[in-house]
Amino acid sequence: MSEYRADVADGLSGPATFGALYATGPVVRTVLIGPDGSPGLISAPVVEGSVPSIVDLAPAAGWDEREAADLYGVGFTGHSPMRPLVAHGAALEDWTVRVSGHDAYQVAVGPIHAGVIESGHFRFHVVGDRILHLDAQLFYKHRGLQAAAEGHRLREAMVFVARACAACAVTNAIAYAHACEQVLALEPPSELRRVRTILVELERVWNHLNDVSAICAGVGVAAGNAAFAALTERARRLNDALTGHRFLRGAVQVGASDLDWDASVVRRAAHQLDSVRTDAARAWRELAFNASFQDRLAGVGVIDAGRARALGVVGPAARAAGLDRDERCNSARLSYDGFAPAVPERPDGDVRARYEQRALELWQSFDLLGRLLDRPVTASRAEPGPAVRVPGAEPGDETGIGMVEGPRGRTVCILEARDGQVKRLHLRTASFANWPAVAAAAAGSLLPDFPLINKSFELCYACVDR
Amino acid sequence: MFTLLRDLRRLRRQLDLPHRTGSLAIRHCDAGSCNGCEHELTLASGPHYDLSRFGLGMVASPRHADVLLVTGAVTSRMSAALRRAYEAMPEPRRVAALGDCALGRGLLGSPDDILGPVALVLPVDLEIPGCPPTPDAIATALFGLLASRPTGPGVTVGRPLGSADEQPSGARPD
Repeated sequence: MSEYRADVADGLSGPATFGALYATGPVVRTVLIGPDGSPGLISAPVVEGSVPSIVDLAPAAGWDEREAADLYGVGFTGHSPMRPLVAHGAALEDWTVRVSGHDAYQVAVGPIHAGVIESGHFRFHVVGDRILHLDAQLFYKHRGLQAAAEGHRLREAMVFVARACAACAVTNAIAYAHACEQVLALEPPSELRRVRTILVELERVWNHLNDVSAICAGVGVAAGNAAFAALTERARRLNDALTGHRFLRGAVQVGASDLDWDASVVRRAAHQLDSVRTDAARAWRELAFNASFQDRLAGVGVIDAGRARALGVVGPAARAAGLDRDERCNSARLSYDGFAPAVPERPDGDVRARYEQRALELWQSFDLLGRLLDRPVTASRAEPGPAVRVPGAEPGDETGIGMVEGPRGRTVCILEARDGQVKRLHLRTASFANWPAVAAAAAGSLLPDFPLINKSFELCYACVDR
Repeated sequence: MFTLLRDLRRLRRQLDLPHRTGSLAIRHCDAGSCNGCEHELTLASGPHYDLSRFGLGMVASPRHADVLLVTGAVTSRMSAALRRAYEAMPEPRRVAALGDCALGRGLLGSPDDILGPVALVLPVDLEIPGCPPTPDAIATALFGLLASRPTGPGVTVGRPLGSADEQPSGARPD
């Protein structure tokens, strides 16, 4: 076994979990994350175009290796068959799993979907209505943002991260800001930590409201869909009133915050959040007593704890399966003192569990925001602090790894810098981590249930494609 | 459920929504957005703006559509699907470019992966700027298209896809 594989196996045999894998060209690096949220790097030099695959040790690295193979031309010895992920145009049998048998056939959906949905192609292998297997071909929206960020000054490269996805704009931006501040030896003071925490919780609130609306749409409950869409609109109007942008874009900068909210602004925001919370709770109760709706959720699209762990599922989807991992517990650069993850009553890993998890986390976010918005917010700057050295980073390399628990789970942003410029940027979003789980949850389910299963994860395509 | 419906009815009464006639069937196509335009477009159909109430409905197929509403800068991987969606539309057909990326403003990304604005691929009739445009801006712009929708004969069926600067066929009041 190569040294690289031995180191990864050694790390994963302990409490560490797989965080990300990326290529830089001459080197492939794996990020493992300790139980306290501390990341470490394990690097493998690319020898004759290849490195050993770790996909047998960490199944969650499957998409990471396929992406690195397509974008950097790295071969992964032992990863076979290596199906293209970002590279399109391959023959069908080269990027799909071969499924054959009596009455087995394929249903092709997308890249353009029937509703207002992002672009991506799904190939369902089915018998009748039963899905045997799903091959997802995403990256239709690949814009090369990470590569385009290279060579830009660290502060200027924020725009590339913010543009990756509107729904996760704050999460991605804070993860990048943390990575930059590690490289620049900056520490966020408590006021900067507080304002960033407010922003990411505001993002969680509107996303979770939107997700509940989407799940209702997934089964055709128009009243629930409309009620939560109206609440989403109110949450976005509040975002606009506070930051000038309905998706909070531009509110997070590297090393500073310009946001300045006096007592009346903060009071009004807290009041509006209270009113959204009251109406959300009322709408939620209405749905709880809608038996025909609730009947559609239980036992559908199951990802249990074992599979969630193997696939590296993060966020509400992981917690709905009974994994109590929440990066907010380890966010020293944000204001989450004493935070404990919301634990579901029924961690069944099905659509119902993911749906109920959204509500649990909504109430939690409203509580957090109530506490954080107890005083005016003033502009703040990061202060010089101790230099952070990521274990495993090569001496002389300026590497920072930011991690933020966003609405869909943990997003990891890896920055390699040189002379104050981006040398390599890698954004492994929660959506990227969870997409393989959507395909896994679809297998064994009914084809007409797929929109519901998909909505119960409500992942971004933009965040994955980048 | 009655409570929800009552809330929605009250919300509608409070909103000052304009009176319109006519209809447009809209097919959305994401050619490479950041997901912001999609989220705002979804809310334009939500209870605050409720496009469908004014005859503006999202349809599932380009074959049913009067308007192709395109979001995002066109990526190299989406351009073929975008063209095919346009070619599948019956005449008269319109293209609306939604958001700054679709209009080629402030594009970010690698040149290998992004072709450019929608107008490079399809003839654009309506530009809706914004990053992203608010549901209000989307609704207002589409109402404008409703008012200027092509009427009467003079429509060629099955016109092949033309160059970017070619205007779509069909009489248009100027």
